Amino acid sequence: MGPLAPYEIISENTNFLLAFFIGIAFGWVLESSGFSSSRKLAGIFYGYDAVVLKVFFTGAITCMLGLLFMSLFGWVDLDLIYVNPTYLTSAIVGGVIMGAGFIMGGFCPGTSFCGAAIGKIDAMVFVVGLFIGVYGFAFTYGFWEKMYFAKYLGEPKVSETLGISDGLFGLFMVVAAIGMFAVAEWAEKKFPREEY
Amino acid sequence: MKPLKLLALFVIPLGIIIAAVPPDRVKHFRLSADELLQEAGAGVQFVSPDVVADMLVQKDPSLRLIDVRTPEEFDSYSMPGAINIPLSSLLSDEYTDILNQEAYMNVFYSNGSVYANQAWMITRQLGYENNFVLDGGLNYWFGNILSPEAPSVTSPNEEFAKYDFRKSAAAALGGGGVVATEGSATAVKAVKPQVTAKAKKKPAGGC
Repeated sequence: MGPLAPYEIISENTNFLLAFFIGIAFGWVLESSGFSSSRKLAGIFYGYDAVVLKVFFTGAITCMLGLLFMSLFGWVDLDLIYVNPTYLTSAIVGGVIMGAGFIMGGFCPGTSFCGAAIGKIDAMVFVVGLFIGVYGFAFTYGFWEKMYFAKYLGEPKVSETLGISDGLFGLFMVVAAIGMFAVAEWAEKKFPREEY
Repeated sequence: MKPLKLLALFVIPLGIIIAAVPPDRVKHFRLSADELLQEAGAGVQFVSPDVVADMLVQKDPSLRLIDVRTPEEFDSYSMPGAINIPLSSLLSDEYTDILNQEAYMNVFYSNGSVYANQAWMITRQLGYENNFVLDGGLNYWFGNILSPEAPSVTSPNEEFAKYDFRKSAAAALGGGGVVATEGSATAVKAVKPQVTAKAKKKPAGGC
């Protein structure tokens, strides 16, 4: 039955329209969880606020459980779900750049728009920097191309690499997430900040 | 109750359930019973033996005949170039790449068309395309293609054209009154199905 777009149950345009509404909902959830504050976001690196970890991991395990159950009920074909292909080198380099930018700027790309939308000046500056980065990469693409496509791994799944079922890996993820939340709550108490 | 405990109470049981389900169950049929009924009712799966004969004579490389009978029956007689996938091992992983592909026109055949139809229904319900059924099966193939009966003199011209085609096709395919049970004269050496690894096509998309 699903996914909807590859099975042509909905058209490409309807798909974009749905993406538009989902995007708005995503922005609203980000804002209402406090993601428009760079101090709150940076808290994850110092231990005083773990909202980033909590929101994204809750999102991830909800999505994972939802997909696994929908696949179990025959509602969605997991083989047709788009998975970003893994290019190991660029994933590591990109992750380091993104992490460093996150600590320094206090935003990640999505949350910077969220902050800019409610008028945060630091977020607007971050968005400008983001565009400089995007255009800088695009215009020097030839220089990076080789590294960009290095160490192509296809679309590997951790469960396949470990040789366990998707469901079992799902359970590990859920337990790991709950464990991380508990550690995060402990850290929030251990390294509190009065006002941020 | 603390939110964390509430979340844990909710998601950990779900995780246990999904971990306990055997992975094979996390599969599903891709065609609803309604859709299958519609296709079967319209008879879209049938390929006329004349079309198959024509393709065989012209050595059309896109044609792939699949014998769904037992290996013993396949060894005693098979159609030219056919491969053997017994109905009982249709779902074996070995054959997935042969049945789920876009390059060939797979034509199932059995003695009649019951087994071939079963093979088609199973593969169709799995969402595979390009699988067809030889209309009438081997019985019709022998009775009408390899040993065609001359039409009566009052028959319309089309019948004569068909007869001429079948006669020449039968000559090209080494037919002429051979019956399935005898077979040895035209027995074709069994061809082992070639299993080729094929990358699964995925739709492009983005996050």
